[in-house]
Amino acid sequence: MARTLAMFTDTSLCIGCRACQVACKQWNELPSEQPEWTGSYQNHATFTDKTYRLVRFMEKPQPNGELAWLLMSDVCKHCAQAGCLDACPTGAIYRTEFGTVNINQDVCNGCRYCVSSCPFGVVSFNHDTGRANKCTFCNDRIHNGLGPACAKTCPTDSIQFGFRDELVPKAQKRVAALKELGYKDAQLYGADSNGPLGGLNAFFLLLDRPATYQLPEKPLLPQRNVKVDSLLAVGSALLVGVGALVAFRERGGATKDGGNA
Amino acid sequence: MLKSPDWHLLIVWYFFLGGIAGGAYFTAAIADNFGGPRDKSVIRIGYVLALLLIGLCGILLILDLGTPSRFMNMMRHFKFWDPMSIGAWMLGVFGLFAFVSSALSLVGGEGVAPVRRVVSLVGTIAGFFIAAYTGVLLSATALPLWREARLMGALFLASGASTGMAAISLLLYLAGESAGEGFKKIKRADRYAIMFEILVLAAFVFLLGSAAGPLVTGQLAPLFWGGLVAVGLVLPLLVDLTGLKVPGAIPAALVLVGGFILRYVIVMANA
Repeated sequence: MARTLAMFTDTSLCIGCRACQVACKQWNELPSEQPEWTGSYQNHATFTDKTYRLVRFMEKPQPNGELAWLLMSDVCKHCAQAGCLDACPTGAIYRTEFGTVNINQDVCNGCRYCVSSCPFGVVSFNHDTGRANKCTFCNDRIHNGLGPACAKTCPTDSIQFGFRDELVPKAQKRVAALKELGYKDAQLYGADSNGPLGGLNAFFLLLDRPATYQLPEKPLLPQRNVKVDSLLAVGSALLVGVGALVAFRERGGATKDGGNA
Repeated sequence: MLKSPDWHLLIVWYFFLGGIAGGAYFTAAIADNFGGPRDKSVIRIGYVLALLLIGLCGILLILDLGTPSRFMNMMRHFKFWDPMSIGAWMLGVFGLFAFVSSALSLVGGEGVAPVRRVVSLVGTIAGFFIAAYTGVLLSATALPLWREARLMGALFLASGASTGMAAISLLLYLAGESAGEGFKKIKRADRYAIMFEILVLAAFVFLLGSAAGPLVTGQLAPLFWGGLVAVGLVLPLLVDLTGLKVPGAIPAALVLVGGFILRYVIVMANA
């Protein structure tokens, strides 16, 4: 495997211009969608099969009674332990040599299991193609020595692209600097490779708690309970089986025929 | 913000009919191996019903994909930890068992019975699997309610048993065999299955705690309490325990309605 690539989205630098959202649409040839009223400047409300980058506009009440924006350019997290990848029954969802998670459109068969298995609600079903879509980490670009279109276009370097082992220390320094400036809730989300989901290859610097950005505080791998749930089902099967056996068993052997197990 | 897989009625029907197929098969197999000659009709109906329903299930799943030929994409991969992948394969394995057991129950007479019993005893595992895995499939997602439901597989299995047995008894009744010993036994088996399902459902709701909200207090609550608990479980059990004189088809039909509603409310909780 090649050195793991990452995107580091520093939300403290985001100005909400949505150039990333547009660049993503252009490079990936994603059609426009009907805008929707979300109650804020944010459009759309969630990721869709045609929107892989999404600038979130969070309005936060300030002590003086006014609202302030928290901005965040959100994207597929390319989790080190990816629920969508584990769920995919066709092998269409795969991990590239750079550590990113991608959907092979020719192989996806549209079962939608990945859609329900993403802890972040990223993967979306495309009703036109009958297949699942999400951010590809600009798979074509990274295989040709270029960074993702969103990172390339970001005018404030809020989205940075690079090797994960170089970006994480950089992000940690940035958090320390912000804390010194008085941003006491500044924190990294997904940078720790020992943290939830084995770390996120698209990780974030947040200025507030993850929940403020509609992110789960502690994202969990959906498949973590398969063993326990299966064992409980086996227990259920044993009890059901005993019940049926008691009901059908021929007592006394009078009517038993020879071949019984 | 999590996303719904947009699974609707096709999947509800699949979960429901797949449960019956699995339940009918393992019931017939247990009757075949541990019962006697009077259970012949139960055995035959159970195997053939399982075969027909699992064929129908395959069609439902293929239709849900939109482009039917893409079903083959499931067959290029095997993931033993992934309920969807292993489920797709086991659907085929179970179909094979159901076919062989059906064939050996219809032709060959008593001569092939020992072979059929061995085959169906092994196939019982596939039957249990088909009835239960859809629950585990849901509990292995990121969506609320489903992800908290540690007993979803156990509950679907219990429901597969009660509905599978109800379907067999309904068919026996329609075939005019409601006076026979086999009918009495399948009724007794179904009584145990319903009692067990009520217990599992209670534990299921208890363990879910506040996550059970959409089922027990939300929009789906009238269907859950009225359709599943009252009409689908408690009423048929009461009819059975009190020995109320009603046509044998009625409690069986109620159990089937309850089994459908169980899959419906759970799938629709995240639709």
